[in-house]
Amino acid sequence: MKKQLIELRVNGESHELAIEPQRTLLEVLREDLGLTGAKEACGTGECGACTVLIDGKPILSCLTLAIEAQGKEITTIEGLVKGGELHPLQKAFIRYGAIQCGYCTSGMILNAKSILDENPKPSREEILKGLEGNLCRCTGYNKILDAIMAVSIGEE
Amino acid sequence: MRIPKFEYFSPSSIEEVCSLLYKYKNEAKLLAGGTDLFVKMKKKEVLPKYVINLKGIEGLDRIQWEESEGLRIGPLVTHDAIVHHPAVRGNYDFLAETCFKIGTRQVRNMGTLVGNLCNASPSSDAASPLLVLDAKLKLIHLYGERIVPLEEFFVGPFQTILEPQEMVLEVQIPKTPPRSAGSYQYIHKATSVGETLVGAAVFLTLDSKDLTCREARIGLSSVAPTPIRAKVAERVLNGKRLEEKVIKEAAQVASEETQPRSRAWYRREMSKVLVEQAILQAMEKIK
Repeated sequence: MKKQLIELRVNGESHELAIEPQRTLLEVLREDLGLTGAKEACGTGECGACTVLIDGKPILSCLTLAIEAQGKEITTIEGLVKGGELHPLQKAFIRYGAIQCGYCTSGMILNAKSILDENPKPSREEILKGLEGNLCRCTGYNKILDAIMAVSIGEE
Repeated sequence: MRIPKFEYFSPSSIEEVCSLLYKYKNEAKLLAGGTDLFVKMKKKEVLPKYVINLKGIEGLDRIQWEESEGLRIGPLVTHDAIVHHPAVRGNYDFLAETCFKIGTRQVRNMGTLVGNLCNASPSSDAASPLLVLDAKLKLIHLYGERIVPLEEFFVGPFQTILEPQEMVLEVQIPKTPPRSAGSYQYIHKATSVGETLVGAAVFLTLDSKDLTCREARIGLSSVAPTPIRAKVAERVLNGKRLEEKVIKEAAQVASEETQPRSRAWYRREMSKVLVEQAILQAMEKIK
């Protein structure tokens, strides 16, 4: 299939790329832009490891074509670091040990960010419901919930 | 897992979509949310030569509410948009609640109601509330259009009456009468996607003064080859005072109308339980 020229805005930067239309946003982020924070696990939209934000909303980059993401603001985990400083959620995940193998973490944190952006003071249940599409197979969810709760109540 | 190759179109008008569908028919697939299509393509269950993305067309993500006619939902309206829309929450609260149950936060941001219906899964959650709301679909093709009741849209597991050259342009939901309310009750599997094991939607209209049932509609997901209406059970309720005995009888009859394939006994039993719960909750809302 013929390659098409597309422009993607990722973490505030524009990239021009020539890609085939069947390539997913996840593939292009990882393979063409070297942004390997978003992971592939199930590849079928169940696990959330590939979660990135498009215009602030969490989506599955493994089921999104890169070509569809043109003209949108894409945020990956790499975009949360500002001036070399980690995002409060990243710091909290470290402090609370809400991370083990790390494979689910990028998606977890990006989804958590969107949850807090939408509702800065969610209940534990609301966070749990929000994270239903992000599976963790090692840490367990309590530490992750603790970390997100800590950020929501402004604990640094 | 990679998506197999295809030729990509991103038309900017419905007319263009219709001509492409007319030209390529079964070789083409429409792309709305992608949450079903790309999974099937990755698993090589569906291998379209052409993928036609609808997202370049303006206005297809609109929800329109008119006091006189009711609600119209475009083909790019996501589950999340339905969950948050004031007209849906205000007039069809159980539809908004059902859409909040579908998929995950990410899937609700991507997946569309129309895409969910076109996928025609027997376990579609959205189908049951829409069946009891008497929803209709507007289908169009290059040379015309037709409006079909949702009930006639499903013909088998993952099969609809949609012709290869047709697309669903909107879901139409009529306005609901006074003293009416609906409820959706479900149980789901303990898997990563929490697919619905049994879903029961009930929509009741009661008499202006008492608990006499003017009209009852019962819809069931995941207990038959397609989402279904339990019409015999509906007749048990129609015209009766909704007392415990009648409600239990209707729930029993509804469970007998199911045709579950697997875990049949359990699904039947749970259909009975959930229909009863949905009737009670709908009554509670009207009071």
